[in-house]
Amino acid sequence: MTGMLAEGFLVSLQIFALTLVGSLPLGMLVAFARMSSFKPLALLARFYISIMRGTPLMLQMFAIYFVPFYVFGIRLTTDSKWYATIVAFVVNYAAYFAEIYRSGIQSIPRGQHEAAEVLGYSRTQTFVRIVLPQVVKRIMPAMTNEVITLVKDTSLAFSIGVIEMFTVAKQLVASQVSMVPFAIAAAFYWVFNLLIDALAGRIERKLSYYHD
Amino acid sequence: MTDVEKNAARPVVSLEHARKSFGEAEVLRDISLSVSPGEVVAIIGPSGGGKSTLLRCLTLLERLDDGSLSYGELPVASGGAYGDKNALAAARSRFGLVFQSYNLFPHFSVLRNVMDAPVCVQGRPREEAEAEARALLAKMGLAGCEDKVPCQLSGGQQQRASIARALAMHPQILYFDEPTSALDPELTAEVLRVIKELAAESMTMVVVTHEMAFAREVADRVIFMDGGVIVEQGSAEQVIDHPREARTRAFLAQRGA
Repeated sequence: MTGMLAEGFLVSLQIFALTLVGSLPLGMLVAFARMSSFKPLALLARFYISIMRGTPLMLQMFAIYFVPFYVFGIRLTTDSKWYATIVAFVVNYAAYFAEIYRSGIQSIPRGQHEAAEVLGYSRTQTFVRIVLPQVVKRIMPAMTNEVITLVKDTSLAFSIGVIEMFTVAKQLVASQVSMVPFAIAAAFYWVFNLLIDALAGRIERKLSYYHD
Repeated sequence: MTDVEKNAARPVVSLEHARKSFGEAEVLRDISLSVSPGEVVAIIGPSGGGKSTLLRCLTLLERLDDGSLSYGELPVASGGAYGDKNALAAARSRFGLVFQSYNLFPHFSVLRNVMDAPVCVQGRPREEAEAEARALLAKMGLAGCEDKVPCQLSGGQQQRASIARALAMHPQILYFDEPTSALDPELTAEVLRVIKELAAESMTMVVVTHEMAFAREVADRVIFMDGGVIVEQGSAEQVIDHPREARTRAFLAQRGA
């Protein structure tokens, strides 16, 4: 039973990892769009963030799942469920990460930009060398929160029929008439989040060599 | 005149008929100012008189609405129209700026604060930049602080580190925007001592300051600014000790100078 749950958990981990790989960089692009001085782009980003944060992720999965069929008439397969899940998770989490990035970037004092500008750093150099490292330190607690939420949110994939750990647990609970599979699934989530918490703690300690 | 003499006579920076407004408020009204090589200029005056805006326009942090600005032979702005990116970059390499709030990079060590821009912006070899940074820090009395981060230093030490950071870029002119306003008297003294040393080495400097004693001691020229205009300028003796203008007298009386 634990073996089956573990296999399911590997799928959950895939959703988790692919979501991070996609949404961490996409969030940065959205954050830049949101802060753009080109108003239509900023407005578009605001709208995007508002939709992503303002509607349930579960609905977004279904919407993305059915779009290819209704719009392009493409026949849906089992694979489409998987792709829809990953795309929905990526675009949804990118919106949350974008807002965290934005809060971090905007919290860096003007003086840092001005000092860099006077020294002749280009805009890219200023961002990469001066701003970003300070942003990482400032947003660590918020990012840890979001990543921990993501671990648990992977269970939403069950609603569309992706066979991840929660789906397996539900099937086991039904077939064995026992709540134990749920308890074991909970333990998997919890232990994995303990690891994330420990890792985040290590990173935060590493970045505590300075304060500002 | 020989070329050398011509160069010696040419101002390091020259600003003509500068105007700058923020919305309705006119902050600089027809300001002209040029600074000769080796000259130390102190700018005094009440808050809101345009001193900081003047410095921010000279350092390209703000743009003039009208007027012209040039660094030596390099034109930067003319009639309020600015040169291209390369022209601005070339001008930036001519000056350094020391901020009131230091603005050191908190995540860099003190050494890296001083050597990062020379390596990363000017493309100088790392070893050379590091050796020079260490020498500059030692000169600023910060030997032993190289591997600390700014938050481990006192305000006075941070300000001296930021002076080292500016000097590492080999500027032809160094601007100071109220460099000691955030410091208590003891720390103010150590920063002013460093600036005096630079003056003795003929560093060209423009210092916005509230320290009248300091202005009197180091400045070749004192400028009193109020209401967006240069009200009066001259030697410290002329401006601080024997001011001609009523506004200057009122300001100095208020400051107890």
